Amino acid sequence: MKDSRLTIFSIMFGVLYLVAFYYDLALFRYYPEVRQFHWLRNDGLGVVILWYGWIATATLASAAIAFAVPRNMAERLWPGWAWIIPTAAVVGMLIYERRWFVS
Amino acid sequence: MIVALLILHGLLAVALLGAITHQALSVLTIAPAANGRWTFVNRFRGVDATAYVTPIVVLFAITAIGGALLYPQYRIDVRPALEDTQNAAANGVFEIKEHLVAIGLGLLPVYWLFWRKPHGPETAAARRYLTWLLAFFVWWSFIVGHVLNNIRGVLP
Repeated sequence: MKDSRLTIFSIMFGVLYLVAFYYDLALFRYYPEVRQFHWLRNDGLGVVILWYGWIATATLASAAIAFAVPRNMAERLWPGWAWIIPTAAVVGMLIYERRWFVS
Repeated sequence: MIVALLILHGLLAVALLGAITHQALSVLTIAPAANGRWTFVNRFRGVDATAYVTPIVVLFAITAIGGALLYPQYRIDVRPALEDTQNAAANGVFEIKEHLVAIGLGLLPVYWLFWRKPHGPETAAARRYLTWLLAFFVWWSFIVGHVLNNIRGVLP
């Protein structure tokens, strides 16, 4: 992966991770009580871990976008976006997660 | 086995915390006074920041993998106990930790790239802010991990 593509991957990852989290787009689910991975929801298998699946979704989607963006466009990208967009994603996440601290 | 992994995870987190804190302070724009005393803080900041890049990337990735391996035990044993005791804030800070670690993993390629290549002044700000962002993620994760690990002793 070329340098500019790595930059796009990192810029998109945080945003797409939050999209995967917010819209429940886990690529797969892990049920730790039965130690099983499943593509789809299985309510009878106990507690579920979606975190692995969100990371997998964000990884695949970010890599796809990084390869899809034309190279000349990717190379003109301002370096500042590399921290501004992930920071915005973190702020958005923190705002959403306030739900745990308000009664 | 799970206790050994937890201890290893904690030790790797300590190493990561030290490395990222050295680097985060070394890229502060405020330079120490030229004729100032060589204080502890100045010594702490006066490191070659580039030397920490690869160790930080490796430690962040390995520590995150260790956390991912420990996570099922947390999900089965700890989280339901927190829910039973109506401790939503503890669950909340842990949920934020898992998001920060995931976003941090995604940032590692660009962080490594901007530090590895001598891009010059146009990427200096991005390098600094990416470092501070990762430092925030690591500090949050470290503190939350330790508080939750000891929560039975912390709470009344």
